[in-house]
Amino acid sequence: MALGVAADATILTLILALAALGLAVIYGLIGVINLGHGAMLTIGAYVTWACTGAGIPFAAAVVLAGLGVGLVGFALEHLVIRHFYDQPFETLLITWGFFLVTTEVIKIIFGPTLHPVTSPLPAALDLGIITLPAYRVLVAGVAVVLLGGVAALLYRTDLGIRIRAVIQNREVASLLGVDIGAMYKMVFVAGCCLAGIAGALLSPILSVGPYMGNIYLVRSFFVVIVGGIGQILGGTLVGSFLIGGSETIFALLFSQVFAQTIVFALAILILRFRPFGVLTRR
Amino acid sequence: MSLSRAAGGGRSTPSLGAVVVSENGAAVLTFAVLAGLPLVASDYAVFILPQYMLYGVLAMSLGLFWGFAGILSFGQAAFFALGAYTMGLAMHGGGVAGVIDGAYLGLFLAALGAGALAAAVGYFLFSAGIRDTYFVIITIALSIIAEQLAITQSQITGGGNGMFIDRMMLNLGPLGSFSLEGDAAMYYFVLPIAGLVYLALRRLVGTKFGKVLVGIRENEDRVISLGLDASLYKTAAFALSGALAGFAGALYATHASFIAPSLGGVLFSTEVVVWVAIGGRTSLLGALLGGIVVASLSNYLSAITPEYWQLVLGLLFVAVIVYFKGGVAGALAAMLKARRGRAGEHG
Repeated sequence: MALGVAADATILTLILALAALGLAVIYGLIGVINLGHGAMLTIGAYVTWACTGAGIPFAAAVVLAGLGVGLVGFALEHLVIRHFYDQPFETLLITWGFFLVTTEVIKIIFGPTLHPVTSPLPAALDLGIITLPAYRVLVAGVAVVLLGGVAALLYRTDLGIRIRAVIQNREVASLLGVDIGAMYKMVFVAGCCLAGIAGALLSPILSVGPYMGNIYLVRSFFVVIVGGIGQILGGTLVGSFLIGGSETIFALLFSQVFAQTIVFALAILILRFRPFGVLTRR
Repeated sequence: MSLSRAAGGGRSTPSLGAVVVSENGAAVLTFAVLAGLPLVASDYAVFILPQYMLYGVLAMSLGLFWGFAGILSFGQAAFFALGAYTMGLAMHGGGVAGVIDGAYLGLFLAALGAGALAAAVGYFLFSAGIRDTYFVIITIALSIIAEQLAITQSQITGGGNGMFIDRMMLNLGPLGSFSLEGDAAMYYFVLPIAGLVYLALRRLVGTKFGKVLVGIRENEDRVISLGLDASLYKTAAFALSGALAGFAGALYATHASFIAPSLGGVLFSTEVVVWVAIGGRTSLLGALLGGIVVASLSNYLSAITPEYWQLVLGLLFVAVIVYFKGGVAGALAAMLKARRGRAGEHG
């Protein structure tokens, strides 16, 4: 029982970390409050549904979802967002507008109904002491790989140094020959790709519908700000555990919906007393 | 400063004075049209317009907070729904015999309850110096919580089946009581309320309180350095905004006679933001008209082309944010200013 709950909480933490990773990259690195993050998860899921429906293997569909959402993100950044980097409130509104438009386009093309995506790994994973749904374990594994990959890129590569330089001091980085505009664009598009991949991987777990990303939008934001902005690896994991893992535990005591309400209230409490996140020292 | 004050009669610049005068004119015209409309409009319009006027009041509640204090709230629907459910429960309860009837108690408690909740949330967060952008996200969560509570606490709210509420009686004590069952009666009950709210808010933003809010919007650090407690002002503005939204929600409940959990949700909150953005976030009349006109258009066009209208609305919203920050009201004011400027050169 306890082991089962611990395993559930771990898996849910990692799945939530995966859902929040794109947001953590965009918000944490370039400070854009992307309220379109939920819509990007949704697009990723729809691409996966359409691709698997057309007979394309699931793994390829996930890659296509990442690329597709990355392309959408590129267009959004190039046409609008790049002109508003210094106005966080306006980017917040524009990305919310992106959510509104995307949702309507999805409803026009695919209708307002829910679509199922068949799980590529429907079996259960029997570990002797506990049995776990194999697909969720796989998604948790992918989350670990992607989190590790992003962290390695940021802290172990030359490109990572450039990105961190831009965040630390835009002017000086620019004087040293770093192309600020290109860096911002790359980070934004990378975050969108990650959101697309997350949406694709979530699609067999959830039902694919026009508003499926909404609940993950707020959860992801709480993950990022509770964990601490800019703490891509540690912050996302700690935030995901506090938001996702605790929801598993509360769901044992209350209904699922009520558990989520408690977790949101808890997140607001944490933000009140640690407005810069649990990992960030002022 | 003293020169322009002398020229502008207490206002900072003459051109701003011209805009204020034009807003007064537009407001008189708006309310005159609304007052005369039932004489020519269809029965359906008379039935539905009070609802949109209440949306207009809801939009002004956001306009005060967003336009003047500069902080966006996606939680207005939560306060609106809280007011609506409070009204329903109070009217079902029937009030206190001999002291106050259910409807009046409902209106009072709706405003008080929503205001108190907003004050509590606002004080809790603003006194900690929380970032404005975090506040926006927390208000989104507030709307999600409101909708989910309305669904799950079904023994109180009726859950997904919603709650039915009668039209209220207007009890005037010794003068007897009037039923607001008739649509025209309801119309002429809601219209002066919308007018009074507009007037009161216009007066309010002209006071020191309103000026401090604008100061916070423009430069919060400077307001603090002047020795003012900015978090207290923000809390007060949010509390007032919440109370107004709750009050509008209570009237909505008795007008519509039916309320459902989606009234508190993120999507309805978003609609409010869209009305205010398009109408003009820094103009209370723009917000009021944004609520009335966009909701009317939504109703009309949803019947013809539901999907595409929502899409157009979304695109319009983005266009307003990108190109016309001030919305329709801001664009008109800028046009007027430009024309007056040209007239001034020639004269």
